[in-house]
Amino acid sequence: MGSERVVVIGGGPAGLAAAAAVADVGSAVTLVEWAPFLGGTPIAENYAALTPNMESAEVAMGRMIDRVTSNELVDVRLGSQVAACEPDGHGFRLELSGDGAGPLHADAVVVATGFQHFDPGRETQMYGYYEFPDVVALQDLEAMLKDHHVVRPSNGQPPERICFVQCVGSRDRQIGNEYCSKVCCGIASKEAIEVRQQLPDCKVFIFYIDMRMYGYWENQIYWPAQEQYHVQYVKGIITEVLQKGDKLLVRGEDTTMGRPMEVTMDLVVLSVGMEPSLGTRLMAKTFGVAQNKYGFIDAAHAPLDTVSTSRPGIFACGAALGPADLEDSVSSAAAAAVRAVAHARSHQPVGA
Amino acid sequence: MAETSALYKSDDVAGYPEVAHDVKARLFDEVKADLRFPDYLYGCYECGICVAACPSARFYDFSPRRIAQAIAREDVALVYQQMEEDIWECSQCFSCVRCPRGNNPGGLITIMREVAINNGLASAREALEGYSRIIYKIMSTGTQVSPDMLQPDAFPDWGPEVKDVSDNLALWRRALPPETLHTTSTGWDVAERTLIELYVIWLESGVLEMIREVDEGLHAILEEIMQDRLEEEGIEP
Repeated sequence: MGSERVVVIGGGPAGLAAAAAVADVGSAVTLVEWAPFLGGTPIAENYAALTPNMESAEVAMGRMIDRVTSNELVDVRLGSQVAACEPDGHGFRLELSGDGAGPLHADAVVVATGFQHFDPGRETQMYGYYEFPDVVALQDLEAMLKDHHVVRPSNGQPPERICFVQCVGSRDRQIGNEYCSKVCCGIASKEAIEVRQQLPDCKVFIFYIDMRMYGYWENQIYWPAQEQYHVQYVKGIITEVLQKGDKLLVRGEDTTMGRPMEVTMDLVVLSVGMEPSLGTRLMAKTFGVAQNKYGFIDAAHAPLDTVSTSRPGIFACGAALGPADLEDSVSSAAAAAVRAVAHARSHQPVGA
Repeated sequence: MAETSALYKSDDVAGYPEVAHDVKARLFDEVKADLRFPDYLYGCYECGICVAACPSARFYDFSPRRIAQAIAREDVALVYQQMEEDIWECSQCFSCVRCPRGNNPGGLITIMREVAINNGLASAREALEGYSRIIYKIMSTGTQVSPDMLQPDAFPDWGPEVKDVSDNLALWRRALPPETLHTTSTGWDVAERTLIELYVIWLESGVLEMIREVDEGLHAILEEIMQDRLEEEGIEP
């Protein structure tokens, strides 16, 4: 153990996991989070239960937060951000702004600034997210599920028919997001199960291009949704949502049945994908690390090194690198943490 | 989804009588209530492996996938349409059971056929019309096609040797090594005890009763044969 310090940017699942891992191996760590609280997107966006194990997001994240804040090697700076980064010997001299303002020396940096939900206003189909109150996005339904109060925003009544529309803002050349956001199939299916649990009489449909629930999510989420909860999966993507009386009319094709389809819904949920968060874009510029064409931080030596950026000493993890689920985020966080500690220690005097 | 079917089929184009929605719903419920149903349908990937394996799908506008899907989606209108049309295009070979989800589309069709027969659907009557002789044979003797049914005039494409075999049928049959095949009016020799057990099964399982809905005359003949035989044995059906 030496006097080295790793600075982790971002207090979501990846940042918390990275900070905990750095402290676990005995190095000092400063965790910089620009929100006034820890927990990241699962807390900020009111997630109900985590995929796939259905544990309360608040409880699970609370455990991570406690683990970090109770460790004396961790210094947490809430309401703070990195305003500048200059080389400082083998490390960096950071300038923090906000509540924790001041200079800070970092022997290595882990960027864990995550993603933001795609803004459905940019969708090139006609879904009317900003037009119809009963068209919502995944995170809007999460908040309702968390409150156990799933209703149609237009009239406060529980919906009898809900549909999810997959790949909103993903896999789309017209929008520029050609990538798959990886988690939306699982999240939509998880939310569909929760809806059926909370509103057993509500019919739930998922309109998809292809369902992508890899590995164990297959029989942890997809099969139960279909076999136990009778969620209806229809291969075909909605092109348009229209008002019809007090219902929403969705138009698409039931491709495997080979027929066009016009069905009414009470609530339409857009399965929005992931885009680099503002924090990820800003930190990429501040630290001068390369980004890919979508704005995520480039893993410079992929595929077998997933956490090194184009700049030695700066590592990235979680959804700052691209779409990632929680399991991948915390795994890459641990990888980034150990690489950052190794980098920091390699330039420390022995026995310091 | 039920409400979309209306876009494709109207009452006057279908070759079967249109019935009220609640009748369709009752038939659908009968299919789902079958003891075997939970083992025959889990969830459908719509991957088409069953269609790829299906011989009927090569020759008819028939898809075991659509059968599984229509039921999974609880599309009662489409399920009814399939019970009046599609299910009779299946040869019940069960090539479709290679389904990765463990579904059995052919088994679903078995159930749908039984419901169609039990409810005297037009398609069931039509499908079984040409089979009254086979049904008579299998239910009265326990064997299906007997050698004496293969008359040369009925099968001209089988060539000239059929006539020779037919003229000396008993002799040809005796040339077969197993003695149980030295029969002409049954496919093989059926033991008395087997026949009596079969009759009890047909009667007790309701299979004979199924015939009543589709062919009343045949039902009457079979019922008499079975009851007479069982009476001789002192069995009260």
